[in-house]
Amino acid sequence: MWTIFINIILGIWLMAAPTILGYGPIASDNGHIVGPIIVTFSTISLWEATNAVRKWNYPFALWLLLAPWILEYDLTIAIVSDMLIGAMVFAMSTLRSSMKNRYGGGWTSLWKKYPDHMNDPME
Amino acid sequence: MGQRSEYIPPGWDYNPAAWSQRIPIVILAFVGFGIATYLSLYQLNYVDTVWEPFFGDGSITILNSKISRLLPIPDAALGALGYLVDAISGIIGGTNRWRRMPWIVIVFGLAVGPLGFISVMLVVFQPVLFSAWCTLCLASAIVSISMIGPAMDEMLASLQYIQRAKRSGISTWKVFWGIQPEVEKIK
Repeated sequence: MWTIFINIILGIWLMAAPTILGYGPIASDNGHIVGPIIVTFSTISLWEATNAVRKWNYPFALWLLLAPWILEYDLTIAIVSDMLIGAMVFAMSTLRSSMKNRYGGGWTSLWKKYPDHMNDPME
Repeated sequence: MGQRSEYIPPGWDYNPAAWSQRIPIVILAFVGFGIATYLSLYQLNYVDTVWEPFFGDGSITILNSKISRLLPIPDAALGALGYLVDAISGIIGGTNRWRRMPWIVIVFGLAVGPLGFISVMLVVFQPVLFSAWCTLCLASAIVSISMIGPAMDEMLASLQYIQRAKRSGISTWKVFWGIQPEVEKIK
């Protein structure tokens, strides 16, 4: 759970940092686009049934490691900040929140041959 | 209320269609509806100014942008309509609606989920295009993304139910619309 809140704060920082630290236009746009995506996926993953959505952060976290070089950021602080956030968001997104409830096998049950909700031990 | 054990889906520990699960989402939808209605009153010129405590001319820039007027009705009015669909589809149906009326649960899930997600992205990407922020637009976005997670569990229960129907060889179509004799056949 706390890992998700860290991701939300990092996403908000991506949105705010360009103005606070005076990034160039390309680094700013990147933060303004990737920040809201990370905040959105992380917020959705706060709930148990949609906790797996945290993994949707992976491509965006990896992009943050590459973006400073591909987009050629001119500000060192922008390069350091984006790469650090990318690494942290990736690490935090790998961690599963502890589950209080069962969900009949969850979303993956919909593709399974023997989903949990069809052979429930409680029945 | 709504936590009667026969209403808990198989393999679950609680009923995702219980009022305690749905009312918070409906309240959020009404909050979103209020914000979006206020913003559309500004866009339709019924009110002259818009509340903006943090970003100076930000709200004015964004609410008058070309993108916000791309369609015949302003984007905030579309947002208000979206929130209204969320609220109504959240209210309709009893606490066993995940199996009695899967269609409304799916409508609710799609309205809150994918559509909510798209509208949030449209709102939040505006700084890229117009270098401006809009406090109430952001507030509306926060409301929208907070609704997605809690709404999806009910959709999952309905999809699993339809999956069980399909496996039992019962018409998925009839089950989707909650046609009685078919629904009775499945747990």
